[in-house]
Order: sequence, then structure tokens, then C-alpha cells
Amino acid sequence: MTTNTARADVSPTVDDQRKQSPDEEVPQLIGIGATARLLRPVWPHLIACATFSAVAAAAGAVPFVAIAEISRVLVTEGTEAASATVWAWAGAGAACAWLRLLLLGLSTHVGHKADTQLVRHLRLRIVRHLGVVPLGWFRAVGSGRVKKAVNEDLEAMHELVAHAVGGLVGAVTSILVGVGYLVSVDWRMALVTLAVPALGVLSYRWGMRSLSAQIPRLLAAESQISAASVEYVDGISVVKTFGGGGGGRVLDRFADAVREHVAAHNAWLAGVRASSMLNRALGSELTVLAVVLAAGLGFVGAGWLRFPDVLPFLVVGIGLPTSFGPVLHGAHGVRMARVAAGSIERLLAQEPLPEPANPRRPTGHRVELDRVTFSYDGVSNAVEEISAVCEPGTVTAIVGPSGAGKSTLASLVPRFYDVTGGAIRIGGVDVRQMSSATLLSSMSLVFQDVVLLRDTVRENIRIGRPDATHEEVLQAAKAAQVHDVIERLPHGYDTMLGTGESGLSGGEQQRLTIARAILSGAPIVILDEATASLDPDSEAAVQQALTELVAGRTVLVIAHRLHTITAADQILVLDRGRLVETGTHQELLARNGLYARMWRAQRNGDNA
Amino acid sequence: MIRKIYRLWPQRGLLLRIWSLTAALAVLQGLLLGLLVPILRALLRPEPDFAAATPWLVAGAVGLVLHQVLFVLSTPVEFGAGTKLAAQLRHHLMRQVTTLPLGWFTTERKAEFARTVTSVVGTLAPLTVLVGGPAITGVVLPLTVTAVTFAVDWRLALVLLGTLPLAVLALRRSRRIVAEVSVDMEVAGNEVAGRTIEFGQAQPVLRAAGHGSTGGARMRAALDDHCGRSLRALDRMLFPDLSYSGIVMAGYVLVLVLALQFLFTGTLSAPDTVALLVLVVRFLESLGGMIDHASGIGAMDYLADRVEEVRHVPALPRAARPVRRVDRADIEFSDVTFRYERGRPALSGVSFRCRPGTTTALVGPSGSGKTTVIRLIARFFDVDSGSVRVGGVDVRDLDHDVLLGEIAIVFQDVYLFDTTIEENLRVARPDATDADLAAAARAARLDEVLDRLPDGWRTRVGEGGHQLSGGERQRVSIARAFLKRARVVLVDEAASALDPENESAVNDAIAALAEDPERTVIVIAHRPTTLTSADQVIALDAGRVVETGTPAELRDTGGTFARIYHQYENARSWRISS
Repeated sequence: MTTNTARADVSPTVDDQRKQSPDEEVPQLIGIGATARLLRPVWPHLIACATFSAVAAAAGAVPFVAIAEISRVLVTEGTEAASATVWAWAGAGAACAWLRLLLLGLSTHVGHKADTQLVRHLRLRIVRHLGVVPLGWFRAVGSGRVKKAVNEDLEAMHELVAHAVGGLVGAVTSILVGVGYLVSVDWRMALVTLAVPALGVLSYRWGMRSLSAQIPRLLAAESQISAASVEYVDGISVVKTFGGGGGGRVLDRFADAVREHVAAHNAWLAGVRASSMLNRALGSELTVLAVVLAAGLGFVGAGWLRFPDVLPFLVVGIGLPTSFGPVLHGAHGVRMARVAAGSIERLLAQEPLPEPANPRRPTGHRVELDRVTFSYDGVSNAVEEISAVCEPGTVTAIVGPSGAGKSTLASLVPRFYDVTGGAIRIGGVDVRQMSSATLLSSMSLVFQDVVLLRDTVRENIRIGRPDATHEEVLQAAKAAQVHDVIERLPHGYDTMLGTGESGLSGGEQQRLTIARAILSGAPIVILDEATASLDPDSEAAVQQALTELVAGRTVLVIAHRLHTITAADQILVLDRGRLVETGTHQELLARNGLYARMWRAQRNGDNA
Repeated sequence: MIRKIYRLWPQRGLLLRIWSLTAALAVLQGLLLGLLVPILRALLRPEPDFAAATPWLVAGAVGLVLHQVLFVLSTPVEFGAGTKLAAQLRHHLMRQVTTLPLGWFTTERKAEFARTVTSVVGTLAPLTVLVGGPAITGVVLPLTVTAVTFAVDWRLALVLLGTLPLAVLALRRSRRIVAEVSVDMEVAGNEVAGRTIEFGQAQPVLRAAGHGSTGGARMRAALDDHCGRSLRALDRMLFPDLSYSGIVMAGYVLVLVLALQFLFTGTLSAPDTVALLVLVVRFLESLGGMIDHASGIGAMDYLADRVEEVRHVPALPRAARPVRRVDRADIEFSDVTFRYERGRPALSGVSFRCRPGTTTALVGPSGSGKTTVIRLIARFFDVDSGSVRVGGVDVRDLDHDVLLGEIAIVFQDVYLFDTTIEENLRVARPDATDADLAAAARAARLDEVLDRLPDGWRTRVGEGGHQLSGGERQRVSIARAFLKRARVVLVDEAASALDPENESAVNDAIAALAEDPERTVIVIAHRPTTLTSADQVIALDAGRVVETGTPAELRDTGGTFARIYHQYENARSWRISS
């Protein structure tokens, strides 16, 4: 019988399998509780959706039952005698057909509405949570994890709420109603009829099981194809300028990958050949028709049944296999949602950054590092026992070979992570005893990777001080050497960023974030390699902007190019997480240690 | 729809075979169902007439065996077809992309193409079988059943026939609306996802401003917008979605009422009525099942369009009788004007000449057209007016492979293939001897890098070459230029700071390239040292040549070159202080 999501073909596809294979990180059984918890706000809707869907499916069975009954009555009672019954059934069939349609619409409507609410609710929860987890968490997991949660995981939840629940309940109901009706006609025939799709499901399961062995190979081949095509287009200019040799080789690799994919798929097919053939044969309505006719004639011949009683099986029984597709499909959706729910819960379970019960405000903005120790993994220390004092109005440079812990140290001051030993104090107050807002508004962070919001230039500059006047924004932009650039944009200060309309270069974007920092007027400035990846055209302008920014503040700067920090008030030289030297440029040169060695190496490079 | 998909494939044999088999099976299935009419006629008499039913039962058994054998045997073919079709289309697309001008390959297009070749084709090809097949059956089977019905009662057959086009129209409409709505939803969804990611990245700033957990007004607006759009989408889709099922249901009611009417007015016999009603159920189920493939059909439509987009990019124009050799490596721009697809001219009226054995430095602020000059020489794009000549021949008249054979490009961000250093070099000349390789490595100062690496030449460079540092990658690409003996070398000097050791090595290697008297070197220069050692400087500003001369001549003029030169020098001596 037709239900809302009948899928005639229940043959396994690789895609099904892939989606079914759980995330590496997720054990498959987790997630039932998580799913239930996440769905709590929409329970009433879901129950309504399922109920409508079930009643719709039951109503949807009536038109078919009506035809079966009409046929039976006509044959057994003769046309004239049956007239009243026949018209009654016809009326019921027609009424139920429309009732089904109405209920189906309601079920879809309620399901989607619940889905929209749920997705909104979950997104808000995720967003709210992102606002309280330690800042370092974003760095560690990357935005990819967040993206997966708000896109793919929520998409799976959407599938569940909007489609899978209604589809599954409807399909199960229509099978139950159909089977119930057939049993009421003749339980033996019902058993025989039902055996066909039941065997079909079994063969499907069997096929699925034997196929999982081939999945890694298929996936490997697919990622090879992907890698080879990406490599080919990424290296297209090399391929083209270096002629057939290079291009040929990459194309060969692509061809090999495609061949391997076909081979892997064929290997999989060889493994499931028998089961898939069986499954297709059993899923065919002609098979049910043949079985029903043969068994029916046999039963009639044996005197167990009168022929008119075979008719319901021809009308209702033949449609049974198509209802099993949606059952498998819906079960699959539930499984996917379970995995996704587990993943969303783990995101929401991320420990928030502890906020102090009685936050304190700093007096002054002297930054004090007191035997600061931090470990990412709890095993080895990324920075260890570092002590230093950064006085207001001075520049403190942090230098050292890569991996020395420079960025880690700098990220502890704004509490991207909490120290695992020692303390960081600002104006005499431990950063952990300040509220996040107080702490972060006392400092400007200028990093290599620029973060601009998709908002107007003006809003981007005054995000730290939303009440700033246009005049103040203008002054900050001028100080950051970016005013002229903004004036040239199509809508000046009202140009939307991040829409492709602005076309700001990296250096210009960097200056915009410096303008933001200048406007915020925060007394502490932390610069992490702010000019390292700029092109020389913008470098000079960014440098000027930085000069404006740092004037008179407490500055912490991480630098690769030592000549930029020769005028610093103090230089902290880090090596493998430890502070090995402290002093001014001249003092450190005289000391002839690590700093002096690094300095000499760079001078040689510059003079080349 | 079917036609669109069919046209997409370069070799159509497989697709045609599979689809015709599906259609033939659907016809056979319809006819077998039709056999129910005579069978039921015989068996539904007051006394079942088994003798009359027997020939039909036998015919049905034979037909059934035939159908099932074909059906079952075609299973592996059909299942395998998805992958084979994908392979065909993938090969075709890869060959096609090779003919496109280099200028087509922007970052977005490259990503888009890679997506098309992998996931789009990977989804589309199986769909043509998994959804295309049932869609064909969904139309052919009802048609066959209708034909059988005509043989019994033409009036009811007409009703069935009338239902078909209405249903198809409703399905189309529903698909169209779903497609529109999906685009709308995708936009809103991307907006929300983008906002969320941005929200994560901007946390330090947002928290400082006290917007940490509320997400700011734009975030909330994006969420509200998404929610509103979802609800509107739902409203728009609901009715068209139901209208299809409604039409099928209306067909049911009409047939039922008419059949009973005909029965009671005596124009249709009872067995025929029953037989027809059984048939009509098959008709409606088959047709009604189509709605479950609607989303699959919609997806196919969408994916086919994506593939079509790539197939329709015009290839680089070829000269009718291309010149196949380049005598000298002279490069000459005469009055070249060029603009990118949208926007103001990137170059206007640019003329200059570079002679073999010399190095030309291009300078200018960002956006002044330096990169465009290099791209036009390698014919990434064709000029709008004027001409670019290499060896005195317009690049449009040169065989493109011959032109590219003369050119080596050393980019800022060098792309290396994910294989060994040796293989990456051999790309330039597959038949190079070990001695050739060693010489090229020495000239490009790559030998020091190789000595340091434990696996030497056999070191794998990783995806995109990222196991090596930027400077090391550049040295590999310069070595390639040496090995290729390219007579035109175009260098886009690394703008960002290389570590000091790499910087001096790359400088030396570029200088060594310029020593060959046959070779013309053009450098987009970012360092004072490169600028002073050039034979000729061309300063660009806003797409025009503003100065030409030797570095010594231009340094004290106070013009663009002088300004940039001093700017570069100042940047190198800047220091931070409070």
C-alpha cells in the first residue's frame, strides 16, 4: 500500500553503508539518551506528528481494503445483493483517501515545524555554549568542528524530526494494518504472503553485513580520486607549463584511482551478488503476485479457501514489499541522528571557562607573569616556570626558535587557557579572578590571522566600543593608515565586509583590526607575528599603524624578525618552554647566548 | 530531464542499454499484470473455470520466469553501472579541463571542479540508475497498464490516461518549487553556518565587547531569518507536495465510482470490474510511488546542471595554423589592454620589451597589474587589444604547448605534487639523467636541502609539498626551471618574509637563472636586493607603465620605483617601541 515515503527498491547502496558506518570517534550505541534529551523541547510536536502519520497510514490502507472487499462481496454475493455493501465500501474508501491526504499534510506540517524549532533551539544552545568555553578550545579543535555541528549534525537531526519519525511510524502502521487485514481474511495465506518481503529484509541484512569489509577500500579509492583531481587542478599551471610528462603522470594517477574505484566496487558486487539478486527478486511485486496466485490456487484446490478470498491478497498483499523500504530508510535516519546527537552533546558538554563568583577589577595594567607553567596534555609542559613583569608603557618582546612556547605564553594572558601552575596577574589581580569581559576589554589582540565580521566597516571597527561616534571611528581609521582605503570602497564606512564587495588586501584587513584596537583604547596590547605574512606593499603601512597603536601601552610582542624588536624595553628569550635569557637587545648581544646566535644568523640572511 | 542526463554522458551505450532494459521490464511487468484480467474472468465465475484459466496461467508463468530471469541477471549490471558511468564522466571531465585556459583556474573554480569530479559525479552517476530506473518504470508501467485497460473498457482507460499528464504536471511543479525553496534554504543555511563559525573565531573580540554568549545582533538575525525561511518554505512546499498525491487519489475515486456505476448499469461485468479494480490498484501504486523519487529526480537535475556548467566553459582558442617553434626568447608587449571579466582594465596601453640574457623587475603597488603581465605572457588569458609576442610571434598564433614548453613559472606559493622531490623535478624533463638532476639542483641551491634530508632525492614532499618550507619549495621549482632549460622564466618573488637562510638561497638561485644568455627572466620583485640587481625595471601603477629604466636611473628620480624602493628598505628597518 502506498504510504508517504514508499521506496520500492530496498537494494543496498554504498552510500547507505557509508552513512551507516559510524564516525571514527563515535561508538555506535551512544546517542539514544542524547537523542531523547536533545529532542525534549519538541516532544509534543513529535508525538503529534507520529500520531497523524500513523492515522494517515491506517486511513491510506482503507481504499485498498475497500477494493479488496468490494471484489470479494461482488463475487460471493452477486452484483445486485452486494449493491449496498459495495457503495458503503466505496464511500469509505473515497473518504479515507481524502482523510489520509489531510492527515499527511498535518503530519508533515507539524514535523517540519518541530524541526524548525528544534534546529533553532539547538543552534542557540550551541552558540550560547561557544560563548563560555575557553578561547583556546577554538584554536585546538578549529572551526571545522563547530561547522560540522551546526551543519551536518543538525542536518541529521532535521532528517530525524522532519522525515524519519513520520516516515517510520507511517510505514510500520501501514504494514501492521495491511497484515492485520490479511490475517482476518486468512491467516495461512497471510503468512505465505508476508514471507516474501520478510525474506527480502533478511537478504538485505545479509548483503549489508558481507559488504562492510569492502567499504574501507571503496572509501580509499574515492579519496584517491578526490586527491588526484584536486592535485591536478591545483598543479594545473605546473602540469601545463611542464608539458605532457607531468600532466601525464598526474592524469595516470587519476585514471588509476578511477580504475581502482570501479574494481573495488566490482569486488563489493561480487561479494553481494547472490544476496542482491535475491533481494531484488524478493522485492519485486511480481514475485508476490506469483506466490499469492500459486498458494491461493493451491489453497482453493485443497478446499481451505474460496477463490474470492484470494482477492484481498492480490490487492493488498502485493503492495506490502514497498512498505519495507521506508522502514529500513527510517531506521537508517534514526541511526544517523543518534550519531549526530552524540556529537552535538559532546560539543555542549565542553567544560565552560570558570568565571569567578566575585569578580575583581584590576588597579592599573601592569602585567605580571609569576612562575607561569602550562601543559596542553598534562604530560609535558609547553611553558614552564616563566616569570617576568611588563610595566605600563613598555614593550616586552618574546622571541625564540619555533616551538619554544612564544604563542602559548602570549595566549595565557587573555585566558585562552588557564595556567596549570603559577599565575598571571594584571594590575595585581589574578586573571582568573576577573570576569571575561573585564579581562578581555583591558587588552587588544592583534594576530596574524585577521578576524573580520561580515558587517559594515564601521561596525567592525567599533565592535569593542559600540557607542563610539563616527568621528572617533574616523580618527582610529586614520591612525591605523586605513582611512584612505575605506574612503575608496564603494560605500565607504558602510561597505559590508566578507561579501566579496570590499576586496581588501591582507594588509588592509590587518590595519582594520588595528584601527579596532586603537579605538578600543585597551591599555594592554598583544601582538603575535602581526606583520609576518604581509606583502611588503602593506608592510610599511601596517608598521606605521602599529606604531600608533602601541604608543604608551603595555605591549607584549612575539617576533620572528629580530630587527623589529631591537628597541624593546625587555626581550624574553624562550627555548623549549623555558625562559633562557632576559634583557635588552644590547645586553643580550653582549651575553653572546641564544639571542646573539639568532641575531647573527638573521643578519647574514639580510645582507645576502 | 531524462534527455538532459542522457546528453551529459560522452559514451551513451551503457546508459542507453540500462534504461532500455528497465523500460522493457516495465512493459513486460505491465503485460503480466494484464494477464490477471483473463485469469480472474475465468476464476471469478460462480463456479471457477480452471480449464479456461490454465492457458493464461501458463503464459503468465512463462512470462514471469522470463521477467525474473532478466530482472535478476540485470542486477549486478545495474549495480555496477553507477560506478562505470561515474568513471566515464570523470575521465571526460578531466580531459575537458586540460583544454581550458590557465586563467580559468581560480581558487574557487578549482575547488568547484574538484567537487564536481568527485562528489557531484559520484552522486549523480548512481542516481541515474537508482532513481532514473524507477522513474522510467513509474511512467512506463502505468502506461502499459492503461493500454491493457483499453482492451477491457475504454472509458476507464481514458480516466487513467487523463490522470497521467496531470500527475506529471503536478510532480514537475512540486519539483520546481522544491528546487527554488532548496536554494533559498541553502542560502539561509550557509548564512547561519558562516555566522556561527565567524562567531567562534571572533570570540576574543566579542567577549571583550560583552557579546560573548548572545552572539551579537547579526547572529540572532541570521537564526531568525533561517527560522522564518524554513517556515515559509514549508508553507510553499506543502500544497504542491500534496497535490500530486491528491491527483492520484482523485483518479482512484473517479475510477472506483465509474466502475461501480458501469457495473450497476450493466455495461461492465462483475469479473471484469474486479479484474480492472485490481489492475487500477497496481496503476495507482506505481504512479503514486513516483513522489518518493521526486527529491531524487530533483537532485539529479541539480547535479546535472553543475556538471553541465563545467562542460560549457569554452576552451582556449587555437590558431588555425599555429607556429610550432620559438627562435629567440624575446618578450614584447605592444599597447596591451586587458580587463578581467568584471571590473576596470587591469592593464591599459602597456608596451615594453625584454631581451634574452636580461632580467626585468616588475614593481608597483598591489593591484597595479604585475601579476597580470606574467599571466598574459603564459596566455592564462588573451588580451583585449594589442599583442603579446614571444620570439616575435603573437602568443595567440603560437601552438600553446610550444609556448608553455618555453616557459617556467616560479610562483610565490609553489605547488608540488605529492610524491618524491626527484619525481617533482622530473616533471620538467622525464628523460633527464641523474647528472642533469644534480646540476639543476646545484644551480637552484637545492643541493643543500637534499643533503640535509635523510631520504635525499627520495624525500616525499607531502600534499601540495607542505612537508617542505616555502623557501625549499621555491628552490624545487627553480630547479625545475633549470632542468627544463626554459628560455622564459617568470618569477613571482615571495612577498612574505622567508627565513633568512632560504631568502639568500632563493636570491642566489634567481641570479643564477639570469646568467644564461639565451634566457629572459621577468621577476615581480619585492626585495631591495632583487630590484637593484635587475637589468631593467618596469614600474606599473593602476595598469599603466609609469617608469622604465635601469634601477640606478630610477632610484633618485622620486618616482614610483624610488618610492617603493625606499618603502621596502624602511620596512626592513622598522622597529617597535612604546
